Amino acid sequence: MTLATMIMKMSEGLGKTCAIFFLTLLFSLPLGMIVALLRRSKIKVISKITQFCISVLRGTPLMLQLLAVTYGPYYLSVAVNKLSDLYNWSFYLDISISRNKLIPVVIAFAINYAAYFAEIYRSGLESMPVGQYEAAHVLGYSKPQTFMKIILPQVIRRILPSMTNEIVTLVKDTSMAFTVSYQEMFTIGKQVANSQTSFVPFIIAGVFYYIFNAIVGFVMGRVEKSMSYYTM
Amino acid sequence: MKKKVVALLLAAVLVVLTLGLAGCGITKKPSAEADTTSTTKTASSNEKKVFTMGIDAEYPPFSYMDDNGEYTGFDVEICKAACERLGWEFKVFGVNWDEKLIQLDAGECDCVWSGMTILPSMKEAGYVISEPYYDNTQVVLVKDSSPIKSSADLAGKSVAVQLGTSGEALLAEDGDCADLSATFGELVTCESFLKCFAELEGNGVDAVFVDAPVAKTYVAEHEGFRIIDENLGAEQYGIAFRADDQANCDAISGAVNSMVEDGTYAKIAEKYPDIVNNLLFLNK
Repeated sequence: MTLATMIMKMSEGLGKTCAIFFLTLLFSLPLGMIVALLRRSKIKVISKITQFCISVLRGTPLMLQLLAVTYGPYYLSVAVNKLSDLYNWSFYLDISISRNKLIPVVIAFAINYAAYFAEIYRSGLESMPVGQYEAAHVLGYSKPQTFMKIILPQVIRRILPSMTNEIVTLVKDTSMAFTVSYQEMFTIGKQVANSQTSFVPFIIAGVFYYIFNAIVGFVMGRVEKSMSYYTM
Repeated sequence: MKKKVVALLLAAVLVVLTLGLAGCGITKKPSAEADTTSTTKTASSNEKKVFTMGIDAEYPPFSYMDDNGEYTGFDVEICKAACERLGWEFKVFGVNWDEKLIQLDAGECDCVWSGMTILPSMKEAGYVISEPYYDNTQVVLVKDSSPIKSSADLAGKSVAVQLGTSGEALLAEDGDCADLSATFGELVTCESFLKCFAELEGNGVDAVFVDAPVAKTYVAEHEGFRIIDENLGAEQYGIAFRADDQANCDAISGAVNSMVEDGTYAKIAEKYPDIVNNLLFLNK
């Protein structure tokens, strides 16, 4: 197999890698904000439960979460059905392992990354001085207005560098979709490496990820610059 | 001043680097020569029967040249051990694979033993062929309830295969079963057989393409699955001897059998995890 065919083969999987990346961002960015707000809730129970969920999601490997989301529902249904047989319950769960692996993969990634993003958002939110809320109140801003117009833009500006960090990690983490047999770029790279007994595909994969991250870095740099007018 | 210091530092780094690299190149050599001489010398002193094994030196893991330039591989190790057991001197001859049987007839080697597929034509031509020792057959594993009855029913279905197995190689674009895999709806490559079987159990895929011995073990231990055996990619490996050479075949087979019985065979096989599941003597 020539270098060109290797690159061709692997770029076939690049689309799927991008799909994981963009869909994960699409879902985890807003979800993370919701989680962050729940975490800051004044109701103790909600805040504690959210804190616990975050600690589980950050404290267990993403690989494990991928397996749990992909295979967990099926094995859970098997267990429930056994109990159902035992106690003559009148229902029967019919869950099978998803054929379109993108669904469980994106769910697992989105939940996992939402947990990390939530903590980043929280760090931003808590860095805002109380004086700003008070000033906004005095000026007659409502609470949602204060949040959307005054607090959020500043928060986003402050957390951008940590966000870039996390997004760069996401690019590399997409390779973990291999654990559930999703045929993304790195999976195909492994297959080619295996059939050709060659390490070249791994080098190609490295270059692909690096270019991807260089683009991410460039875009995030631009975004940071465009928001720099908020700096004090 | 600053510039000079930087330049000096850079030069120093360069010198260290080049020395380091050169050092790496030099240290590797001696070990390669030490090993090759030891094997050839031992037997030549007294009058021993010399047994020359014909191999394809580019067929890992059965027969290949290792990093030290020595012939090794599963077949080579077994033959060497068998010769030791028989008190024969062991030699290796690298055949030209297309002309292996001619070279065997010419006496350049005493057997062809190198992951060689047994073909009916060999037996017809009169060659003495040993009992097959390796089976490359692949089977399709499906659920009991599945409507799939033959490999033709796999059209449009999604099929799982394990990365790096002979099954994957057969289904690859240049493999022997490429025509079959072209009919699949989707070929899912899993990183372990466990995942393949989990996918099948949970209806993530419709069938698993797997080595026959692996499938047999799985079906014996788990309920609700059945095997579709169509001799896909069926190949059995054996050893070829000259037509008038039943004696050598019997002697080698006898030695191999005794190695199977006392566990030497299994011990050598352990070093080759990729093929161990398909060795017929170990999976009877």
